[in-house]
Amino acid sequence: MYGFEALTFNIHGGYLEAIVRGHRAGLLTAADYNNLCQCETLEDIKMHLSATEYGPYLQNEPSPLHTTTIVEKCTLKLVDEYKHMLCQATEPLSTFLEYITYGHMIDNVVLIVTGTLHERDVQELLEKCHPLGMFDSIATLAVAQNMRELYRLVLVDTPLAPYFSECITSEDLDDMNIEIMRNTLYKAYLEDFYRFCQKLGGATAEIMSDLLAFEADRRAVNITINSIGTELTRDDRRKLYSSFGLLYPYGHEELAVSEDVDQVRAVMEKYPPYQSIFSKLSYGESQMLDKAFYEEEVKRLCLAFEQQFHYGVFFAYMRLREQEIRNLMWISECVAQNQKSRVHDSVVFIF
Amino acid sequence: MEEQDSETQSSGSGGEEETLKLEPEGLRHDVEDQHVLQFLDSLDGYITLMDSLSLTLRQGWLELASARHSMGASRVNSALLNLKFHSASTSLQVTRNDVDSEANEANFTLCKWASSNSGHSSAGEKFREDKLQTKHDSPDLRHRSKSQFSDETSVQSGASLVADDHVQRERSKSLSVFGTLVSPKLRAAQLSFETALEMLVEIANTRSTMLSAFNRVKKGLEDIKS
Repeated sequence: MYGFEALTFNIHGGYLEAIVRGHRAGLLTAADYNNLCQCETLEDIKMHLSATEYGPYLQNEPSPLHTTTIVEKCTLKLVDEYKHMLCQATEPLSTFLEYITYGHMIDNVVLIVTGTLHERDVQELLEKCHPLGMFDSIATLAVAQNMRELYRLVLVDTPLAPYFSECITSEDLDDMNIEIMRNTLYKAYLEDFYRFCQKLGGATAEIMSDLLAFEADRRAVNITINSIGTELTRDDRRKLYSSFGLLYPYGHEELAVSEDVDQVRAVMEKYPPYQSIFSKLSYGESQMLDKAFYEEEVKRLCLAFEQQFHYGVFFAYMRLREQEIRNLMWISECVAQNQKSRVHDSVVFIF
Repeated sequence: MEEQDSETQSSGSGGEEETLKLEPEGLRHDVEDQHVLQFLDSLDGYITLMDSLSLTLRQGWLELASARHSMGASRVNSALLNLKFHSASTSLQVTRNDVDSEANEANFTLCKWASSNSGHSSAGEKFREDKLQTKHDSPDLRHRSKSQFSDETSVQSGASLVADDHVQRERSKSLSVFGTLVSPKLRAAQLSFETALEMLVEIANTRSTMLSAFNRVKKGLEDIKS
């Protein structure tokens, strides 16, 4: 019953909510980012990060540092925190935490399948996989020739199995099929996650519905913009949009027929929450759209911490950490390429 | 007065001989100056092109990093590049000008997005022709009434549209290693690196011209010394 979570939540979730709120306090602040943005080399970045929670993960890294090393070690920290929370969680929180990683699982499956199609070594591909999305039989993906085999040999025993019903065919895997598979899986995953949160009810349902709806809407916009000028038909594009969110269903109908960024803008400006995002962009521009969406997402994720006794804080924390890692990646790239004037193009401050 | 006239006449006749002697030397100096000017022009062009190349490459690398930031590291990484055997989408043709033995210049021609599978080996050349056509079109021509040039432009625009479609298809095909639905930032990075490739070929041609001009200047100086 909504409003009475305070009576029972702390029995099973109190410890982990305290843990995650403690982790949240360790997120980098604007002062940290200002120091990082003034670094001249990657060694300076390592030195500044040594004073943060990332310190123990980077201290033993030898010089010369690479941007991918920094990202890898920071991700390792997130993985360690996640695994600690998962092993301490009971149902239904443990299932909720697992849902958070299915997106990475889908990305890893697509990476292995695409790399195999391009005759890459499986070990090399496994090293590039996201650690949060790993599962036991992931290496076996390399033997599949089509989606039916992919499902039958490997994915039937994974949490992604229920999402495959819409995309099982005997067609050989190629670049277009793989892309459609990726987006169809992700759509099915988001819808399933949304239904699960609705079933949980209470504050979790309310907060997660908002966050997942935003995610679905942002995906719809990205799919539309990325498919402009490609061979993806309008019908196929429409099929990739999720069946929930603020844009569902009328916004999706308009987005499906959009042929350029200005038409996408015209559709989105009809919805007040997205009007503020597109007002920051000039006409015909899409370069800063990602940053605008990330800023809006961070705002919503931070608001999740304003309320207690719900699972949304775990989702929000994981997403905020991922945003932080993206920030560190961008700052490292700008420093490594000697392009510090562009560092504020993509850094999104969390606090 | 007559003596002066005769002196002037004699000096005039001697001056004509001197003038005749000076003329070949004067011509030679003019030619040498021309060679020096050519060398300096090509050197200036070379330095300008190197600066532009540096800027374009910096922009390309940053756009690639931006695409990686937007799409995620799992979608934009070197492990996805295709190791299957496939024909090159772009080739470089090197020819030598043997007409003038003194100016033995190498000429580099880039044949972009010419897919050998479809047999459109001239598509790249067609692309260059269209590009030359657009370079020659000055802004003034665009302001003329359409009726005067409608026939010509419709044929040209038809041909350029076909070339554009082919180029767009080839561009999408080469980017498909990262997926079919890629961010506009990745497409921008591709364009930047494509421009950098064109600049490299232009630099090679300019360098060839510069070296040829330098050889001519050097030969001229040697002739003067001898």
